[in-house]
Amino acid sequence: MKQLAQLLAWLVAAASTTASLAHDVVPGAPQKEPIALVGGTIHPVVGAVVENGTVLFEAGKLTAIGRDIALPKNVRKIDVRGKHVYPGMIDVDTEIGLVEIQAVRATVDDAEVGEVNPSARAVTAFNPDSELIPVTRSNGVLTAMTCPRGGLLCGLGSVMRLDGWTWEDMTVRGDAAMIVEWPALIQTQTARLEQLRIREEKRAKALEQMTGLFESARAYQKLKRARADQGAPPPDYDARWEAMLPVLEGRTPLHVRADDMRQIQSAVALARKEGVRLVIVGGYNAPECAELLRSENVAVVVKGTNRLPRYRNDPYDAPFTVPARLYKAGVKFCISASDRMANVRNLPYHAGAAAAYGLPAEEALKSVTLYPAQIAGIDKELGSLEKGKSATLIVTTGDPLDIDCEVTAAYIDGREVDLTDRHKQLRDKYQQKYQQINAARQQD
Amino acid sequence: MTACSFRRHVPPNLLRRLGPLCCLALLAASGHGVEPRTAPVAGLHDNTPQTHALVGAKLVLAPGKVVEKGTIVLRDGLITAVGPDVSVPASAVVSDMTGRTIYAGFVDAGGEQEVTAPRSAVGGWNDSIRPHVRLDENYKPASDVNKRYRSQGVTLRIVAPSAGIIKGTSAAVTTADDAPTYSVVAPQTALHLQLEPAAESEENYPGSPMGAVALVRQTLHDAVWYARASEVFRSGTNVPRPEANEALASLNAILASKLPLVVQSRDWHYFLRADALGREFDLPIIVHGSGTEYQRLDAVRASGRAVIVPLNFPGAPNVANAEAALTVSLETLMHWDIAPENPGRLAAAGVRIALTSRRLKLSDSLLAQVRKAVERGLPPDDALKALTVTPAELFGLEKRYGTLEVGKAASLVVADGDLFTNPKAKVIDTWVEGKRFAIQPHLFADLRGRWDFTIPKAGGGTEPVSLELEGEAEKITGKLLRGKKEATLKNTAMDGAQWSAAFKGDELDWKGEVQISAAVLTARDDTREDAPGMKLDGFLLLPHGERVPFQAKHTVLEAKKKPTHVQADDKDRAALYAVNFPLGDFGLAAPPMQPKLLAFTNATVWTSGPAGKLEGATVVVAAGKIQAVGRNVAVPKGATVVDAKGKHLTPGIIDCHSHIATDGGVNEATQSITAEVRVGDFVDSNDINIYRQLAGGVTTSNILHGSANTIGGQNQVLKFRWGALPEEMKFATAPAGIKFALGENVKRSNWGSSSRYPQSRMGVEQLLRDAFRAAEDYRRRWKEYRSFKRGLPPRFDLEQEALVEVLEGKRLIHCHSYRQDEILAFLRVCEEFHVRVATLQHILEGYKVADVMAKHGAGGSSFSDWWAYKFEVYDAIPYNGAIMHEAGVVVSFNSDDAELARRLNLEAAKAVKYGGVPPEEALKFVTLNPAKQLGIDKHVGSIEPGKDADLVLWNGSPLSTFARCEQTWIDGRKYFDRAEDVRRREEMAARRTALIQRVIASGEPIEKSDDDEKKPSWARDDIYCGCRSPHARLGQAQQQDGK
Repeated sequence: MKQLAQLLAWLVAAASTTASLAHDVVPGAPQKEPIALVGGTIHPVVGAVVENGTVLFEAGKLTAIGRDIALPKNVRKIDVRGKHVYPGMIDVDTEIGLVEIQAVRATVDDAEVGEVNPSARAVTAFNPDSELIPVTRSNGVLTAMTCPRGGLLCGLGSVMRLDGWTWEDMTVRGDAAMIVEWPALIQTQTARLEQLRIREEKRAKALEQMTGLFESARAYQKLKRARADQGAPPPDYDARWEAMLPVLEGRTPLHVRADDMRQIQSAVALARKEGVRLVIVGGYNAPECAELLRSENVAVVVKGTNRLPRYRNDPYDAPFTVPARLYKAGVKFCISASDRMANVRNLPYHAGAAAAYGLPAEEALKSVTLYPAQIAGIDKELGSLEKGKSATLIVTTGDPLDIDCEVTAAYIDGREVDLTDRHKQLRDKYQQKYQQINAARQQD
Repeated sequence: MTACSFRRHVPPNLLRRLGPLCCLALLAASGHGVEPRTAPVAGLHDNTPQTHALVGAKLVLAPGKVVEKGTIVLRDGLITAVGPDVSVPASAVVSDMTGRTIYAGFVDAGGEQEVTAPRSAVGGWNDSIRPHVRLDENYKPASDVNKRYRSQGVTLRIVAPSAGIIKGTSAAVTTADDAPTYSVVAPQTALHLQLEPAAESEENYPGSPMGAVALVRQTLHDAVWYARASEVFRSGTNVPRPEANEALASLNAILASKLPLVVQSRDWHYFLRADALGREFDLPIIVHGSGTEYQRLDAVRASGRAVIVPLNFPGAPNVANAEAALTVSLETLMHWDIAPENPGRLAAAGVRIALTSRRLKLSDSLLAQVRKAVERGLPPDDALKALTVTPAELFGLEKRYGTLEVGKAASLVVADGDLFTNPKAKVIDTWVEGKRFAIQPHLFADLRGRWDFTIPKAGGGTEPVSLELEGEAEKITGKLLRGKKEATLKNTAMDGAQWSAAFKGDELDWKGEVQISAAVLTARDDTREDAPGMKLDGFLLLPHGERVPFQAKHTVLEAKKKPTHVQADDKDRAALYAVNFPLGDFGLAAPPMQPKLLAFTNATVWTSGPAGKLEGATVVVAAGKIQAVGRNVAVPKGATVVDAKGKHLTPGIIDCHSHIATDGGVNEATQSITAEVRVGDFVDSNDINIYRQLAGGVTTSNILHGSANTIGGQNQVLKFRWGALPEEMKFATAPAGIKFALGENVKRSNWGSSSRYPQSRMGVEQLLRDAFRAAEDYRRRWKEYRSFKRGLPPRFDLEQEALVEVLEGKRLIHCHSYRQDEILAFLRVCEEFHVRVATLQHILEGYKVADVMAKHGAGGSSFSDWWAYKFEVYDAIPYNGAIMHEAGVVVSFNSDDAELARRLNLEAAKAVKYGGVPPEEALKFVTLNPAKQLGIDKHVGSIEPGKDADLVLWNGSPLSTFARCEQTWIDGRKYFDRAEDVRRREEMAARRTALIQRVIASGEPIEKSDDDEKKPSWARDDIYCGCRSPHARLGQAQQQDGK
């Protein structure tokens, strides 16, 4: 019976939606009137859970959270009794908007030619009409850093709000992080000697190149400063080193993709030497160098808990317990989905797995809300439900970290998000097929 | 091999094949003059007597049979007398061998040589099938190779052609530097095979190990067919002529002659595969081992196969620093620790072994490695046997080789000590068929002992002086004594019969350096060290130039006790830990026990059966089967009780689409139809992912061939009985199945350019229809032939046999499919042939044609929510499972991925989230429904009386991300237990620490790769299945890197 009811609900929805192939979900209009979500269980992430509480927001900002809140006259009250309100979830390592279909080259814009592309900016290639965007936010992930990949210095990642007409509308931080892929560790146990030698040479070259890159950028920075001090014209423009200036000045953090202990140690050493801000992305072996990370104040973006152990001898749950081990060791971390594209929507389940394997539940929630906001430097606006922050939040039927939870409403900067997506549209379209068949059968 | 086989091996046509030039060269090179030969004599006849007597040596006649002091007489390349009381013939050249040990020449059964001869024009269609290639006809002796072998006492080698899958026949060759006419002593000793292609290939069949075994199997059938067809053609009239096929003709002859088949093995899995092939076709198989046999000693022994055992013990794993050590598996560490005991353990188990230097980086380290094996438990007699008697017997050469007996070849090893126990012992001479090859420089005489002489005394008279010479004969040390004073000798040297030395004279009242020069004078037959009359006749050259002549007489001194050179800690060394299964990480000491009676009490039981979900229920298991389920079930007396209060019990999870636990390459991608290929041939029971998936509750998994071709290979359903042998993991009662595939992968859309048919979905449909028609034709041909017995017999075709099984409903189709058009077309083709499809795999557009699927009766085995990784999955939606389920399709969610399989319970939960399937129904997506799809629901898939006790205990709802798998049971045996796992981690960590300590303490250089033989790593994913995840993409990058 329940299924029948579900089916009917779909049919009703289907009647009001035209299914089509293009992403035709209309971005929400700017918030016009104050909105109050009333009667729900509020999970502000910072501070205690509020039962039967209210969330009030105006002009895109949260203005009050709690019980017994005085509501403005013109408020639109939305009854969320029996439901839960959470901040929107954030994934700081995705390729949403840069890649539509991995296997179709024409739809892939995530990597540039060569090893050194610090000037490439993800934001400029972000496709607001990607079908991946509505699918992602349907499950409560409302903010994503989209990042280039490939080479050593891949380019600049950009934090995007997942609703809007153009990438400019959607940009939270255009140049949020410099993405670096640290030369991979060689696994000596399986490789053939000759291959090993070639790869070792390649890696050594890459490591040398990495150090050299920073020296070059630093030289450019010095020259530029010296010229400015002398009142001389600036040196000939180098787009790559120009893009590195904010990194060298400590304004833009380095997001270094590194899983292995030696990669992480080397990256920390380089960051320390150059005095740049560092975030480790990946972090499989980060717990093994926790002291170093803690003392150097380096945060870790755990690149998925739902992944395989890297080594045969690792415990089966080693990837599941990375967040719990970092938490216990006092290392700052957040969790990112292991998939960077179509299934970023499964971000909360990576946090769920961490919780199942030892991370306190409230920490698991923070690891996909507040912590990624802090690591991406957007926690003044996002990551928790606090007065003055952006009204970027979700209304759910339960704990979003568990699968049986449904997101029933979402707001980005106070704008109501249409939770339709390609999947729901196709579902609705083909439900009509079966409805027609059933109708024909009944006529017979 | 029979005793008379040597006669068969005499090559009647060998000389005819060799040109006269070779024979001239041979005469020049060879000292033989007596054997009858066909070539004319150039110049004068060489009739030098070829009789030698080696006198006074310790003779090791055969393993365990020693004459402490005896004589061996060699004549014309044969042993003519041997024993303690042998009279020396007058014509013999006598060599004193006192202090020497003589063994029969060693036989190395593991040789290989590249055959560069052009391919036979009538060699058959596949170049990797080369039974007609004969090493003897292509043998190229190389003097440097022979020299290295002789230095290790090897006098005879079995050398096989190196290329191909069926590589051809080997020959027995001596290590004398003769032309092949004489160095080939047996032309065809064995047929050699390897069960994998040289490299992965997308073009040349076979491109995977699975394909290689399938090809060998088909070739063996073809040989039978070819013999029969040729016979029918010869005797009958009005029958078509079969093709000319030298490969099959040769193979028939070889099989008829019962020549042994030597099958190369990469690890013990390949050993068992070789054995299985031998049993399937009743072949006399010898396995060329891998050094990992000790890991499955019982299975190796049970096979009854002889093993050619390599001695390339692994080098020290890279534990140079803590970071590197992180990546070293316990398996690698334990293998390093135990591998040198492999020969000893095989011998102790009664396995017939032959040792080989193959795979040693330096073939002149053979004896050192043999000694290492002896130090690590191989009894010296067994070592000798494995280097002589056993290889001789294995290749039918025992009449001529292997022991010191009259009538056998004069191939022997002269050593200055026990080669198997004394690390200082050296090979002095190697005799190959009566020809002596000096390995150590020959001393004119052994000067050790005391030499007394007198020199003129200043002011008249003489004074006595003596030399005391000791050390090694080749490298003498000693002193000169004058009165009560002495000086240490330096620069001692022998140059033929001339001996020289020097000493500092200051202490002896000669101010400066004194040199000694002397000729060694001996009488005939007086070269022995204790011979009377050996003299040194020479002079001292004093510092100021004066020559003082002397004549010294020799006295043998009592030999000082030699210190034992074997380091004590090395000798006592034994592997630290017992073998577990699989070796190393998370392996078991023994299979988990099966309690006679077992009860889970107070559980929330998700039965996946008609009883639904039961709270506070009891499940009783008897002898591995579920006996009772219910709320009011009594716990039988004596039952092992698992209190499951607050916990959830579900059926074992069944994964309907996986590629783990196989090392056969997953895809035989070279042809559009490869129905003959069997995943079951290449189950890898060592795959750590088996254990990892047990920890996610998976008990049964359908291991499928990849999706690179329209009709792929045969799948294998496994139960994850961790620690068991591959055969023991097979789900015995699961119906046979086969992989089909449609769409982008089979038309090679994402893999560069291709011109293979099909290139469009139109072609896929045609190819399927054509394949089914061909199978029908095949079946009809056989039926007609069986009825009328007319004409040529049809060929027994394994590909067609599999397709006939499909037509007859005996083999289930699991078809990789995405788009609704191809799904529909596929179902319609199958319906034309009255074939019901068991499962449509992936089936991401199943929601568009769910009504058609339901009507056809095809199951849908899907991903829960993957999409957009390639174009044909752009319309994939997570509601797919629910919609198909609604339409009456039996739906399962599968993994197709080693990682995703660890949480299939959560995939099931997505059917609740996306489409509102009730939780109990959703769980069936990964339990009962895949069981139904695989035709194993009688045995597994739900918790119902009579079914296998495959159970998973969870600490919360199995559909919650917060739940954890606590225990996994198969057949009432506990294969995973979280508490036990935690305990085992500690044990492993302790073992790792101890072994890392041992590695560092050993001081062995770090080995960066296992060996320098080609080590292709066969794919373990369906690499043609698009870029499903970032991990997959990474995998591809590595693949490409590897190429």
